[in-house]
Amino acid sequence: MQLKLSIATAVLLIGVSSQAEDYVSFQYLQYNENDNRTTVSAPSIMINKDFGVDYTLNASFVGDAVSGASPTYYDTASGASAFSRGTNLRASDVKYANVEYEDTRLAASLSLTSRFANRDELTIGLNRSSESDFYSSEVSAEYMHWLDDSKNQSISLGLSYQYNEILVTCVENSSCSVDVASGASQKMDANLINAQLSFSQNIDSRSYAKFALYTILEDGYLTNPYMNVVRNYNEILDTADIVAENRPDSKTAFGGSVKYANALTDTISLQLAYRYYSDDWGISSNTLDSDVYFQYNEDWIFKLGLRGYVQSEADFYSADKDYFTNETYA
Amino acid sequence: MKSLLILSTLLLFTGCIKDVKPWEKDMLAKETMKDGGINSLSKKFEEHMYFSKEASKGGNGVAGGGCGCN
Repeated sequence: MQLKLSIATAVLLIGVSSQAEDYVSFQYLQYNENDNRTTVSAPSIMINKDFGVDYTLNASFVGDAVSGASPTYYDTASGASAFSRGTNLRASDVKYANVEYEDTRLAASLSLTSRFANRDELTIGLNRSSESDFYSSEVSAEYMHWLDDSKNQSISLGLSYQYNEILVTCVENSSCSVDVASGASQKMDANLINAQLSFSQNIDSRSYAKFALYTILEDGYLTNPYMNVVRNYNEILDTADIVAENRPDSKTAFGGSVKYANALTDTISLQLAYRYYSDDWGISSNTLDSDVYFQYNEDWIFKLGLRGYVQSEADFYSADKDYFTNETYA
Repeated sequence: MKSLLILSTLLLFTGCIKDVKPWEKDMLAKETMKDGGINSLSKKFEEHMYFSKEASKGGNGVAGGGCGCN
């Protein structure tokens, strides 16, 4: 099993909202990676409005400008493009390197939380986002039930359904059923269902823990339309094909998480989280997240975060099958 | 998964849990103690960043919206 370890860092510039129940929050989120791999700039606005003590409406709008370079195989004789595919190419022309990209994503979300006489909560949410080649719509519902009179224990059940449309540019070896010579695009779709059961417990007056079990069911077009792989490598003739990646059209994942939060002092809080994930593509991962908050005064809160992530590869990317073989997937 | 169950069981049955009264919850109610952190939008932003780099997701609620970034 090949393991990958990655630690990602993000620089976030956040306009922290006040603690008032009704607020409008303007934020500018920024993410940068080394080697210009990914740069994201995301101005956003969030509005929170209480209607009495029983209803809360939350709305947000985010605009992401994404640019960078993603590694894939391409034919150097055709130029550095994710669409530099073809058959019977000169193998020595095949390279694995970064190909530049840029995109804009607009996302809007709306949620309404209703509280009942026993203070149980039902939250209904809608999410919609669009990119030049990806459209997503999501509806979600989560019910939180208090298990004791002191409201120290609660259980929550959440369910969401997401419908995604992916615009695939029809070039040779893509999954299109239309004429690839026309240069047309074809819409593919994918469905995602996410269900989560969680249990929250106050441990004492300064700490709590939360446990969650979840499953994610996906089906449809789950392939990255810009990712290429190499097939039919012939060492003697020095030829190879570059074809579109082809992942399985369904995926079932299970996972569990534990979170722990502790107010170490009146101004410093610690949040720790561990997540285990496993799916039927053979991927399993362990994630450890830690955040320390320091409340300098009423207006300023500083956060320091560190994340560790270890993941196994999918079965069809197993180490004993390199990219120069004829596998069904990958 | 096994370790999760063991940890949950230990926490629940080792007697470390106290009955916290409503008037003792000022620290638990602090913004910095909120599940998901002080800012839900930046949390969602972080989740999308990690999802674009990693092959796994989930565990932080069911809502979040789609992203063509895998």
